Amino acid sequence: MPPDMARRNGRVGAAIVYSFTGAMSPLKKETAYLHLPTYTAGLIYHIGTFLSFTLLVLLFAGFHIPGRAAYVLAALLAVSSAAGLSVLLKRIIKAPLRHLSHADDYLSNVLVTLFHFLTALTLLKTSLLPILLLYGSLLFLYIPVGKLRHTVYFFTSRIHLGIFNGRRGVWPVRKGGYDDRNAG
Amino acid sequence: MPDKRQEALRRFDSKLEGRLLTYLNSCVHCGLCGESCHYYLTRPDERYLPARKVDLVAGIYRRYHTLAGRLVPRLTGARDFDEATMHEMTDLLFGACTMCGRCSMHCSIGIDIAFLVRTGRAMLADMGLVPRELQSTVDAALRTGNNMAIPRDELVDTLKWLEEDLRMEVNDPQAVIPLDRKGRHIVYTLNPREPKFFPLSISAMAKIFYAAKEDWTLSTTSYDVTNYAYYSGDDEAAADITNHLYNEMMVLEGEKIVLAECGHGYRSFRWEGPEWIKKPYPFQVVTCLELMAGYIRQGRVKLDPSLNKVPVTLHDPCNLVRLGGIVEEPRFILRHAVETFIEMIPNRLDNYCCGGGGGQLSMSDYNERRLTAGRLKADQIRRTGARIVVAPCHNCIDQLIQLNQEYKLGVEIKTVGEVMADAIVLG
Repeated sequence: MPPDMARRNGRVGAAIVYSFTGAMSPLKKETAYLHLPTYTAGLIYHIGTFLSFTLLVLLFAGFHIPGRAAYVLAALLAVSSAAGLSVLLKRIIKAPLRHLSHADDYLSNVLVTLFHFLTALTLLKTSLLPILLLYGSLLFLYIPVGKLRHTVYFFTSRIHLGIFNGRRGVWPVRKGGYDDRNAG
Repeated sequence: MPDKRQEALRRFDSKLEGRLLTYLNSCVHCGLCGESCHYYLTRPDERYLPARKVDLVAGIYRRYHTLAGRLVPRLTGARDFDEATMHEMTDLLFGACTMCGRCSMHCSIGIDIAFLVRTGRAMLADMGLVPRELQSTVDAALRTGNNMAIPRDELVDTLKWLEEDLRMEVNDPQAVIPLDRKGRHIVYTLNPREPKFFPLSISAMAKIFYAAKEDWTLSTTSYDVTNYAYYSGDDEAAADITNHLYNEMMVLEGEKIVLAECGHGYRSFRWEGPEWIKKPYPFQVVTCLELMAGYIRQGRVKLDPSLNKVPVTLHDPCNLVRLGGIVEEPRFILRHAVETFIEMIPNRLDNYCCGGGGGQLSMSDYNERRLTAGRLKADQIRRTGARIVVAPCHNCIDQLIQLNQEYKLGVEIKTVGEVMADAIVLG
């Protein structure tokens, strides 16, 4: 926790919770409700990434994914791969995004999308497991190099933003209106 | 120059703790922040994307603090802290950002972009690259105790004249504006723009204090609520300016310091000040908005909203509202003080910056950009149909006065205190 010399005016814990919930909701978050297709694609893409990592661990541990479940999961990962591709295409097509992007932005997007795709293939063809394990390991090694670091920093960012807004009584958004904590 | 650069980088290194490190490593360059930024929305140039401003500061971090940045800088956009970078930083971090925090609130990840912009400004301050007029405002505050270098005699004359005015207004020859009194319940502060250009806002607060029978005083030596070093990025100067008010509170032995209607002044003294001077305050700090709302709630001041018949709208100053948590108090006051109160859309935490924050009003090189960026606010005001715009911040008021002229809005700009004072029923 950073130093806290100023007297608090709110609930930090509630604000951290709000930072991960209400503040992320498409009803509140402008970057979500103004960009619903991107928001949805991003959400699916990230779910696919966590699913792929979970499956990598399970497969590495020797779990067998039964046939029908494997097909369903592979289909989900195909959708998340498509979401990853759509995000990549947007980055290539949109001039402001191209201006913002570095090689790592494209590379990270490609690497993770391929990871989804390879996991989906491995679910359907288990002989690909060694390749998936090797690929997953290399991907893990790349995480600290570039923007994939946000796997960790996303969570710490939202915690810090929650602390900041919680101390000042900005978050969670007060529903009851005016309160006279400091009046008179 | 190379020595200064090393020093700026060294000081940057010394700040690399949890919060800063987190934000420097978090941006995914999604670019969605653009549509939360009044600069980008009014001039869709990719240089104005908030993420671009983040990348300037984060790029320097990557260059000197990450393996990839050291070995393959082009991979992650790591960049040297060189002349070109400094030039771009000055132009974008000082000249194209008000640190309003709207992009931070809506960032996909949750990066406090305004904090990173100020971190970049601090590096430029270490290099002596703060725009000249902004630096001279800071220097005036350090040298004279107030950012407009108003001599004490001139202030006292103004306050004595306002006291005469107050006596006539409230029809009481005993009404006073108490100066430099010790042991009062409240020590009130001023934005130096008030005695210089907007004395009516001091009259309004004096009338409110009179109506509430408040036990208050004003300091004639250290009263300046502003702190432009917050905008220049100079923490040492910010601490010195904070200490002006802090030390005066110790001398006057007041119980509570009440900050005038000033967004960045509130943020600086209430929230950042204790961090800058590295100690908590032994007294309470509140805004006059909280105080005025309390007077209404406690029945200490009686208001007649029919005395303010003209439709009123409210501008939410970023540093008070989104970055300070003073959200409902001005609304509470206005609902009791005016007949027709109309909200701007969007409002509260989502309200657009007027364009006057971030020290922009002290940097004339960027005037044209500032007025263009204010177009969103002008459009918001026009859509309300209100004839009076209330803004509890003197920087916002200055900008809104200019927007009023530039966009021919035909409105009147007032402080919350002025509107409340107009509704007071004495006796």
